[in-house]
Amino acid sequence: MTSRLLVPMDGSEMSEHAPEYALDADITVLTVVGEPLPMWGEATGLALAGDLEEATQEHARAVFGRAREIATAADSDAELDTVVELGHPVRAIIDRADDYDTVVIGSHGGSVSDSLYVGNVAKKVVNRSPVPVVVVR
Amino acid sequence: MVETVLLVGIVASIFVGFNIGGSSTGIAWGPAVGAGLLRKVTAAGLMTIFVFLGGWTVGRNVMDTLSEGIITIEISLAAGVAVLFFIGLGILVANVFGVPVPTSMVTVGAIAGLGLATDTVNYAEIGRIVSWWVVTPIIGFWIGATVGRYIYPELNRRFEIRSSEGPLLALDRGGSVPKPTLGPNTTIQELVGTCVVLVIGCYMAFSAGASNVPNAVAPLVSSGALDRNPAIIIATVAIGFGGFTIARRTMESVGSELSDIPLLAALVVMLTASTITTALSWAGIPISLVMASVMTIVGLGWGRATRPVTAREAIRGESDAELATGALKAEPDAPVTKIGEAEPNEVLDAGSLFNPRAVMKYISMWIIGPAMSTLLAYGFFIAVPFV
Repeated sequence: MTSRLLVPMDGSEMSEHAPEYALDADITVLTVVGEPLPMWGEATGLALAGDLEEATQEHARAVFGRAREIATAADSDAELDTVVELGHPVRAIIDRADDYDTVVIGSHGGSVSDSLYVGNVAKKVVNRSPVPVVVVR
Repeated sequence: MVETVLLVGIVASIFVGFNIGGSSTGIAWGPAVGAGLLRKVTAAGLMTIFVFLGGWTVGRNVMDTLSEGIITIEISLAAGVAVLFFIGLGILVANVFGVPVPTSMVTVGAIAGLGLATDTVNYAEIGRIVSWWVVTPIIGFWIGATVGRYIYPELNRRFEIRSSEGPLLALDRGGSVPKPTLGPNTTIQELVGTCVVLVIGCYMAFSAGASNVPNAVAPLVSSGALDRNPAIIIATVAIGFGGFTIARRTMESVGSELSDIPLLAALVVMLTASTITTALSWAGIPISLVMASVMTIVGLGWGRATRPVTAREAIRGESDAELATGALKAEPDAPVTKIGEAEPNEVLDAGSLFNPRAVMKYISMWIIGPAMSTLLAYGFFIAVPFV
């Protein structure tokens, strides 16, 4: 079965369970940078960067590297795409989800301030996604 | 009895000052420490000196407002201690949840709660303070947006601040008298840049002292239990203590978040926020550094992210937005992304970084914070009417 899965990752350990689970299909790893933080440092840093594209990729590099490591370790021959978005994670995931069959997301283990500013991403994606969502623990 | 209550009050003051020291040292020196321009101990030392200067001079105006402006009676010693506990509680909640709740707002809220319970609120003064709280973020945002949109690119072209390897200054022992010279790899520009960072950091520390020293001690000063001068000294020592201890962590966390912002932009933010905070403190308005700082940061980013591409820029090929997409569409085999990098499916929109709803959610915490402290203090002073 080849289906197209969207796998959002944020660099947390929990989010790494998602690609591990999803690796028998072609997956697109999505990461979101410049999300709202207490001082808005990352968002403003990106906005002020000379080359937005480059700065964004720079921020996403670690997460994509980790995703590829996981794919290599699992010895998967499935296709692995990467996509980076700016701003609020929930909106970015929902906007993209339509192009995929399923969203596979790690249940979040963020701090209290994360859930205040960004909210529980997995929960909101489950509520609002136009396609089925698998929450991986 | 009075001595015991005063002692408890001073301990509460020190707790409040200690936490203020932790958070405001992080904001004032995080960027400079993060950039490796000075050590944390040096930052904490400078912080203590300039907090004292700010509290001793401009801070007295804020002290007047907090101790006798907001409510028409004096705050009795016992009530002052209770108010300090509410301020401390607010700080504790802010720290636990990682939310920057402005201390000045919590302080005014707690004193206003006491005023409501005793029916002694000076509504004219509260109105004056709250209207400035509404205007300040707008001013910060507007200045940030203007700089970000029209001035920042030009500034960025002219000034580059970075820290090179090796010490900044060295001693030239070649002559008969050793004299300081530039260290290895140090350029004149770097030396000037570092000096500017230090001066602006001190300015920010000064404004932190002006606005925050009164928060820690004003409730005790009102009843005359503590004189102004020793009160300012106690607050300074507590803030300095926080600066030397817990600020190590906040300088790192705030510094690492702010290190995403170019140092030059951070300096613009610091200069703007300190000026707003000092000016309002001078006018006796309790205001927190974090309010002005964050809104200037958001303004800078938003202004830059949403800048219009002028026809002149587009013609000269200076635009990095519109023109680039046009070029990509026109030439299918134009620049390929490097191996190992994702193929950008579509052009990123920097505007989505500053989603208005996310900003509003952030600002709502500035309304919830003081409202909660007012309600809690009101409830407490109604239940325990010992004023």
